[in-house]
Amino acid sequence: MNEEQAWVLQAQQGSDEAFTRLVETYQTPVFNLCYRMLGEPELAEDAAQETFLRTYQHLHRYDQKRPFATWLLSIAAHYCIDRLRRRKFSMFSMDAEDEDGNTFELPDPNSPNPEAESIKGQTRDRVHSMLKDLDETDRAAIIMRYWYDYSEIEIAESLRLTVSAVKSRLHRARKELAGLWQEQEEDLLAEMERRHHESPAF
Amino acid sequence: MNHQPFELWLLDDKYLSAAEKRELDAHLRTCTHCTTLAKTGLVLRSAHVVAPAAGFVLRFQQRLAAQKIAERRRRLWGLIVLIVSGVGLLGWFAAPYIYAFIASPIEWLTASIGYFLYVVTFLQAFSEILKVLARMAPNFIPPYALMVMLSALAGLGLIWVVSIWRFSHKPQGVTA
Repeated sequence: MNEEQAWVLQAQQGSDEAFTRLVETYQTPVFNLCYRMLGEPELAEDAAQETFLRTYQHLHRYDQKRPFATWLLSIAAHYCIDRLRRRKFSMFSMDAEDEDGNTFELPDPNSPNPEAESIKGQTRDRVHSMLKDLDETDRAAIIMRYWYDYSEIEIAESLRLTVSAVKSRLHRARKELAGLWQEQEEDLLAEMERRHHESPAF
Repeated sequence: MNHQPFELWLLDDKYLSAAEKRELDAHLRTCTHCTTLAKTGLVLRSAHVVAPAAGFVLRFQQRLAAQKIAERRRRLWGLIVLIVSGVGLLGWFAAPYIYAFIASPIEWLTASIGYFLYVVTFLQAFSEILKVLARMAPNFIPPYALMVMLSALAGLGLIWVVSIWRFSHKPQGVTA
C-alpha cells in the first residue's frame, strides 16, 4: 500500500488530517481542471473547494481499485459540466490576474525577453478563449487528455462515456480548436495589416 | 487535398517512425489544415498548469468546518422538530384518554386490567392453535413445501438483518 492509499484509507476511517494531505496533494490538478473548464479563477476556486467537499462526503463510496486521482478529477469534471450546463456563461474572463494575485503568470516586463513572455501570454489567452467555445464534455475530454495525459480509457471512465465516444469527441474538439485557431490567426493578421496602414509613420 | 493518414496521426497523437515523420513534414509544408492541427496540438501540449491562490487548504478546512457545523445544526433542528411533532401528535391522540383517566381513575384501572387479561387469554388461545397446527401440518404439507417455506423465512430474516445493518452503518464524513 502506498502513502496515498494509506491517506485515503485513514480518511475513510474519519481522519481529517489524512484528508487534508490529499487536498494538499491534489489542490493544483483539481484547481487547474476547474479553471480550464470554467475559465475564471474565482469560479475555479469555488468549484475546486466544492469538489473536495463532495469527495469528503462520498469517500465511503470510493473504490480502492481505481486510481484516486482519476476518481477525484472525475468528480471535478462532472461538477464543472453540471455548473456550465446550469449557467451558460456569457464570456470567459480574459484578464490574466486574480484578486489574490498568484494564480496567473503575467508577462514579466523585467524578464530577459519580455516580448517572448508577452507572446506566451497571448498564446495562453488564445488557448483559454478557444476552450470556451467547445462543448462542456468535449472540453473536459480535451483537458484530461492534454493537461493530465489521460488515456482514452481513463477519460471514458471519468466521464462515463464509451472509449469510441471519447475518441470521436477528442477528434471533433481538436478539429474545432484548429478551426478556431485558424480564425484567430486570420483576425490577427487583418488587425496587424490595419494597424500597419493606420500607423502615422506611413 | 487528401489529408489521410496525416490528419489521423495528428488527431491520435500517434508515435511516428522516422519515415512517417518525414512524410508528415512533407505534407505539412503544403497543407494549411494539417499544419493548424499540428500547431494546436503543440499549443495544447505546452499549456501550463494553473495553481490556486496560496492558502487553498486552509480555506478548504474552514469551509469543511462550516459545513460540519451547518450539518450538525440541521440534524439538531431535525431532531427537535421530530420530537416536538411526535410529542404533539401523541398528546393530541392521548388527550381524551388522559382527560377521561383523570376524571375517573378507578374505571380506567378496571378497564386496563380487563384489557390486559383479554390480551393474555388471546395469546394463550393463539399459542394453543399454533401447537395444534404444528402437530397437524406435517400430515398435510409435503416436505419440499416445508423446505421452501423455511428458506423463504430464512431469506426474509437475512433481508431484515441486512436492512438493520445498513441503517445502523454510518458512512464517514458529513452526509449531504
